[in-house]
Amino acid sequence: MAGTMFERYGGFASVSKIVMALYDKLLDSDVTGPYFEDVDMRRLIDHQTKFVSQIMGGPASYTNEQLEQLHEHLDITDGAFAEVMMLFEETLEDFEFGSDDIQFIIRDLESRKPWIVSQDA
Amino acid sequence: MTENSDEQGGSSLNLDRFNEMLLESTAVGLAILDPESLTIVFHNKRLGEWFSDVEDRSTVVTDLFPDIDIERLRDRMDKGRPYTTETKVRVGRREVSIALVVTMPADEDVQHLIVECQNVSKLKELEYMIESYSKMVEKQNRTLQREKDRAEKLLLNIMPRKVYEEIESFGVATPQRFDSASVLMLDFVDFTEMTISQDPVGLISELNEIFSAFDFIVERHSCERIKTVGDAYVAVSGVPEAVMDHAQNIARVALLFVRYLKRRNSQHKEQWRCRIGINTGSLIGSMVGIQKYVYDIFGPGVNLAARMEALSPPMQVTLCEDMYELIRSDFHFTDRGEAEVKGFGTKRIYSLDEAEDSATIELPPMPGHD
Repeated sequence: MAGTMFERYGGFASVSKIVMALYDKLLDSDVTGPYFEDVDMRRLIDHQTKFVSQIMGGPASYTNEQLEQLHEHLDITDGAFAEVMMLFEETLEDFEFGSDDIQFIIRDLESRKPWIVSQDA
Repeated sequence: MTENSDEQGGSSLNLDRFNEMLLESTAVGLAILDPESLTIVFHNKRLGEWFSDVEDRSTVVTDLFPDIDIERLRDRMDKGRPYTTETKVRVGRREVSIALVVTMPADEDVQHLIVECQNVSKLKELEYMIESYSKMVEKQNRTLQREKDRAEKLLLNIMPRKVYEEIESFGVATPQRFDSASVLMLDFVDFTEMTISQDPVGLISELNEIFSAFDFIVERHSCERIKTVGDAYVAVSGVPEAVMDHAQNIARVALLFVRYLKRRNSQHKEQWRCRIGINTGSLIGSMVGIQKYVYDIFGPGVNLAARMEALSPPMQVTLCEDMYELIRSDFHFTDRGEAEVKGFGTKRIYSLDEAEDSATIELPPMPGHD
């Protein structure tokens, strides 16, 4: 197939829709919802859209060190991380992503878990 | 709608009930205001979800939208135009952006204001993202431009700008004939021996300094450096753009090179002695090579300049009758008689001494020199 996954699924316009739908689920969940109270959702969705685009082979670049810096004060637990993974997978499925592509994205996110989940949680 | 509904009066759906359901299920928050007190006299369910205060019968619209400019609102209503503003409310965990439009119905019998509120959070998120991506793209464009400028600067070191622009536009540069151009060729006497007997690194560093000074002189006299090969330096005037005084330019540059070296030698231990040959004639300018390309000049005009250089005594500028005829009135010469020039037959040879107007030919101040 031609192009990156980012290009195949329609670039920023599509990724932003997916990320917005994901955050609706994350806010509704009692496990993840509390993390997003008093958060500027516009900024968060913007960052997350760039980050997901990056995983899909699009522009923008976040290092794992940046991820650590962005998450370290949030005390993210294993349970919260698992919930995000589950809802992320569900959202990608909602948007009719192929199962290989879903697995690719989830595996990439899982590999970054050490920089996102708090060590002492 | 009313008439249509009447026709369907027999259906199971009661029109009032239908309107009520519509009012309650719509995603738009609706309210009716008293035009004098701006008190909310009616609101639908959606508005109640966003603003819990609205249940209080004495709630004024400014309680929900503190930023409303009452004076402007009344002014707009008087003119029969809508009034708009925005606010943010917290609904559960979400901060929701609400856009408000207040209108006065055209029907004069109705003395109320209608408030329509919409959840514009997604719109705000998208606006933020568009702005953020524009900035990202701008930043990437700036980086690209910096890289392009850097590449252009490097390429301009190995080819004239006109040729660079031709390559940029068409992908290739065609060889071009220049009927009227002048060439200068210089090399240093005993350079090979100098590098062997002296500190080669220090020597090359001095050569670099000298060539940089030559470049500086060349640029200021409508000439162009074509290349350096070891201790040889080749410059041209009239390529790739026609220059009327190409012969005079090259002659002046040659004299300045000698003058620069004399001054330098008087201040340094290392003595650099050059031979310079100059010539005027037709030549071909072309890019050579595909991966590692370089702009170079070819033709008998170039060869004759090389012969003149070979015939030149140290620290002199040598030329033959062809060029002499063009610039004889502008400079002083020493006639060195006839000589056999390989490939060109017998030619009368001259040394270029000084310009008639030599006082006006000054060494430009060199960067990094006093």
